[in-house]
Amino acid sequence: MATDSTMLDPSKFDDIDRKILSILKSDGRATNQEIARALKIAAATVSARIRRMEEAKAIRVVAAADFSAFGFNVLLSIGVEVQNRPAEAVAEDLAALSEVFGCHLVTGAKDIDLLVALHDFSDLSDFLLNKIGKIHGIRSLSPAIAVDIVKYDFDVSVLK
Amino acid sequence: MSRYQLDQLDHHIIEVLGKDARVSNRKIAAKLGVTEGTIRGRIKRLQEENYIRFTAISNPSHLGNPRLVLVGILAVQGQVRKLADRIAEMPGIRAVIVTLGRFDILAVGLFDDLESVLDVANNSILPLPGVRHVETSIVVKTLKYNSRIAKIVPSLPHDDSAPRVKPAPAKKKRGD
Repeated sequence: MATDSTMLDPSKFDDIDRKILSILKSDGRATNQEIARALKIAAATVSARIRRMEEAKAIRVVAAADFSAFGFNVLLSIGVEVQNRPAEAVAEDLAALSEVFGCHLVTGAKDIDLLVALHDFSDLSDFLLNKIGKIHGIRSLSPAIAVDIVKYDFDVSVLK
Repeated sequence: MSRYQLDQLDHHIIEVLGKDARVSNRKIAAKLGVTEGTIRGRIKRLQEENYIRFTAISNPSHLGNPRLVLVGILAVQGQVRKLADRIAEMPGIRAVIVTLGRFDILAVGLFDDLESVLDVANNSILPLPGVRHVETSIVVKTLKYNSRIAKIVPSLPHDDSAPRVKPAPAKKKRGD
């Protein structure tokens, strides 16, 4: 997976890179000047280091927006069992649905784990019957409805 | 629910910053045809209301490709919330969601190796009083994951050893 030649070797991250990254994790919009001051280095160094890490696709500094900012009020985790069709093919079809924001092939009792965000429960019937229902190879769905999100801290994602 | 409703401008700002959080207010203002002060004010409000958070997303291949692991937990009712809080503190655990359905708690973790998965699932979570069942599944392939959608949980400061350059935005109640 990490064979892409454009990728920066993590060992090439030095201490300054790691310190800059650590600041950006907690405040991605800290200005170059603020970071420079905190680390006692030049602002131009900060800007060059960030650009280098971003161009190497090692990091991307973004605004993550809350589910509610998109009007999503219902969050589901659905375990999917597959039959008569390769799990990956089913997963590809599921990943293409706009309501699905996470689609993982997994080991264990289920074959696929989905994360689904809906505006409200009235969207559920269309999603289940008209969208998931049209995908072949699904044997069963085991949903869990998110009631309370205690922690949600993902700062890792495949960057394209 | 006293949160204000986002308008078109807020959505445009979120869209721009979702691609690159380091664009200057001036550039966003020019792009969206409003003043820099408006952009500054909107971003401040979006942050204060916990609609957005600025962070750096790392590529897993630069972190030694950690394993994403889903841990489903069945628990004795009445203990669920307390257990969820404890699990949230465990090493490697990135998300903890109290759910209704196939599990009572869904925890998601990133682990360097299978040994640490076992350590958290079997040695740390399973022995907790009130835990009835723990089911672990390891992600072998991610077909889709949108890291720009998140739950902004303000009440859980994470363990950053980073020197903070600015005070964190004002804390708001969790309760939506």
